[in-house]
Amino acid sequence: MIERANVEQMKSKELLRLARVLKLPILDRKIARDSLVDMIMVEISLRKKRNIPEDELTSPAIKIESLTKRFGKKIAVWGLNLEVNPGEIVGLVGPNGAGKTTTLRILTGIIKPTSGSVEVNGHDMLTDPIHAKSAIGYIPEKPTCYPSLTVREYITFMARIYEVPTDIALVRMRQFVDMFQLDEFLGSYVGTLSKGNLQRTLLVGIFVRNPPYVLALDEPIYGLDPRGAWNLKAYLKRLRDEGSAILVSTHILEVAADLCDRFVIMNEAAVVGRGTLEELLESQENASKLEEVFLSLTGGIPE
Amino acid sequence: MKPTTFRLMRNEIRMLFNQFKQAITSPSLLLFYGVTLVGIFFVSLVISSFISFAPMMASLGVMIEDFIDRGMFFGAFAIVSASSVVTGYFGLGPAAVITSEDENLLLPAPVRPHQIFLSRYIRRIIRKTAFMVISLIAILPLLSSANILFFSIVFVLFCVIVFLETNYFLGALSSYIRLYFERRYKSHFRHIIVIFLGFVMLVPAYPLFTSTFTVAFVFPSNALALVITEMTGIFSLNIPFLLGVCLQIMMFTIFLLLTANICGYEYYEVFSASKGNEEIEGRFSKIIHGDVDFSNSKFNDPIIWIMLKDFWSRLRSPFQIWKYVYAVVGTIFVLYLNLLHPVWFEPLNIPPNLAFAVVPAFALMLILLVQMSSVTSLLSFIDEKENVYLLKASPFRPTDIVLAKFLLSFVEVGIAAIPACGFLIYIMRIEGYLALITLAAPLVILFTATGVAIGAYVPVMTNDPRTLPVPLAFSYPIINLCLGVVMILIVSLFADSVLVLIVLPVYCLGLTLFFLATSVRAINNYK
Repeated sequence: MIERANVEQMKSKELLRLARVLKLPILDRKIARDSLVDMIMVEISLRKKRNIPEDELTSPAIKIESLTKRFGKKIAVWGLNLEVNPGEIVGLVGPNGAGKTTTLRILTGIIKPTSGSVEVNGHDMLTDPIHAKSAIGYIPEKPTCYPSLTVREYITFMARIYEVPTDIALVRMRQFVDMFQLDEFLGSYVGTLSKGNLQRTLLVGIFVRNPPYVLALDEPIYGLDPRGAWNLKAYLKRLRDEGSAILVSTHILEVAADLCDRFVIMNEAAVVGRGTLEELLESQENASKLEEVFLSLTGGIPE
Repeated sequence: MKPTTFRLMRNEIRMLFNQFKQAITSPSLLLFYGVTLVGIFFVSLVISSFISFAPMMASLGVMIEDFIDRGMFFGAFAIVSASSVVTGYFGLGPAAVITSEDENLLLPAPVRPHQIFLSRYIRRIIRKTAFMVISLIAILPLLSSANILFFSIVFVLFCVIVFLETNYFLGALSSYIRLYFERRYKSHFRHIIVIFLGFVMLVPAYPLFTSTFTVAFVFPSNALALVITEMTGIFSLNIPFLLGVCLQIMMFTIFLLLTANICGYEYYEVFSASKGNEEIEGRFSKIIHGDVDFSNSKFNDPIIWIMLKDFWSRLRSPFQIWKYVYAVVGTIFVLYLNLLHPVWFEPLNIPPNLAFAVVPAFALMLILLVQMSSVTSLLSFIDEKENVYLLKASPFRPTDIVLAKFLLSFVEVGIAAIPACGFLIYIMRIEGYLALITLAAPLVILFTATGVAIGAYVPVMTNDPRTLPVPLAFSYPIINLCLGVVMILIVSLFADSVLVLIVLPVYCLGLTLFFLATSVRAINNYK
């Protein structure tokens, strides 16, 4: 769960805080950094033995059956069936107003479906929302966060909400703060962050939890600079390889093509195409790339 | 409560603390808070130096007993509860505490709806308590002038807050009843229930239930009325007032727990739907917006363009049309009152023992009425929302933008102030009222300018130009109250001299220009 390389990344003050959290007896006025890291790792390995083994996701980790959502007379999602298995990244693509965001909002329990069912890691979102929500991490389309919290406070808050032990939260915070280059903003108020840095903060808030993850990401690349986007894509692929189940909704087809194993294409509330890139290319004779498949299924390729 | 509730509460308190820290470490916020507090203290000092309130307070009890009966006294509080229930029925209920940030962070998190409600409620209570303490300190001169014991007023305020909070819960429960009926019945007749609910709140105030100590005193309105009657001795039943306080706290606790209990996931849906309505209005507004082609305007002045844009945008927002209807109907009504003096609506009969306070009261009312009418000017920049940056980036000079905002706001504030002032001179018929009412014009000019200036500062102080920060919202009435009181002081000082014709315009126009220049400066300093 906690690797030595991650602990070594931590700053001296953070190491001391971690040592206090782990209740390590530090009796000397001065202690060499390496010996402190050694002590911490010994304690962590002892605790690891005592702890329950890491959870694994059920298969499918996301299961949406016959999902329909109406807003008054308007149908936002119509009869959607979707499964995401552990070790898989599924791309939910479609034009504006196709129902992607509504699907993710239902999947994360923000709104209820008009009919149909949603299960996350084997827990029904309607009947067992707390367990279902404990399992899923969500990045919204428009990133927002409490403006009066500092980045550090927000990440700590999310760790507490999802009941991540403090020692793990400290190590993971440093790991992902470094990955998303947020170190200089740790003490800044969220309200003062740029869109890109806000997006990074939200991502760290998700990743501070224990893997494997079930993730519902709505435009995750939004606002990230090329390095941030690259880091995120690489990390998502690594998570997939480690057994996480990821559903990505995006307009950016290059991102989808680069990242996703399978695609579900939505148009006007309904699914109009699904499968791997190869399967989709086979189904559309004139298409030679995902962009053309998408255009062909959502109103035709313009002349 | 599960540990998560405490974690959420801790987070809310942390956010409040951070806001406080931000306020005292940012010079601009500190300045506005300072102006607000010193302003209240100053106004309170000036008002208490105008007249001593002690004789008025001493005769207040006798006056109340002379003018109204016990049933009416209890009825007044019951009406507050009834209106809370009625407005709550059409409101969002506990969903009102949910914010856009919660929607993305806490709604998808393993947190129960009542936990969000309770944590947000703790924050609300802490904020209210802090504001109450600060306000009490600021109005200390008035309290000492009226010979009111500080702790008595703290105690009464505490009881009033408990009463209002209980009403808030009543409103939330009423909204739950609406949801419950919506699930079961589709007929529009189901809304008749709201009349019944309002009636239930009024019944306990009936004299039969309040003339002696009965079980009807558990109702929040009766409990508060009991506290006040027994503390002041007005309509007293010679019952310990602490009994009323205990009843209030008991009902507050019951309704708090009931409200927490009704918080369910359906309120997430209610919140989502309310956001959807906003978007529908926005789209609706945009559709009509497209119908008006400003490029066809015969005016070539950017000020006129901005004014036209603002006028049409505002006109299309919900309820704005009623403002103009109010201006027209209100003006006709006050003209009718002042010209025909109908017998069915007599002006206020001021008791002779309060005659000494009537002119300051008239002036104060005038300031307050113009202040209330001038809120539109405060919103002139806030209504732009994120478009304020587009406006700044457009090829208009900041002075043009500010003048356009000022002129349109001036017209709107003016038409809103006319009926109010007309009503004031009818209801408080005092000697020299015609001379005093002319002060409404400089007040409108000045308050419009302060509103525009404060609104222009929102994007300077925050990254969210659509939300008015609390210090700015509070400072607005206080700054206006200070400026109004100083204007009245100037007029009273120079009343017998022709100098008033120079001093008053210099004061009014000088400050107006100052505030408009401040607005231009604000536009040049957007974050």
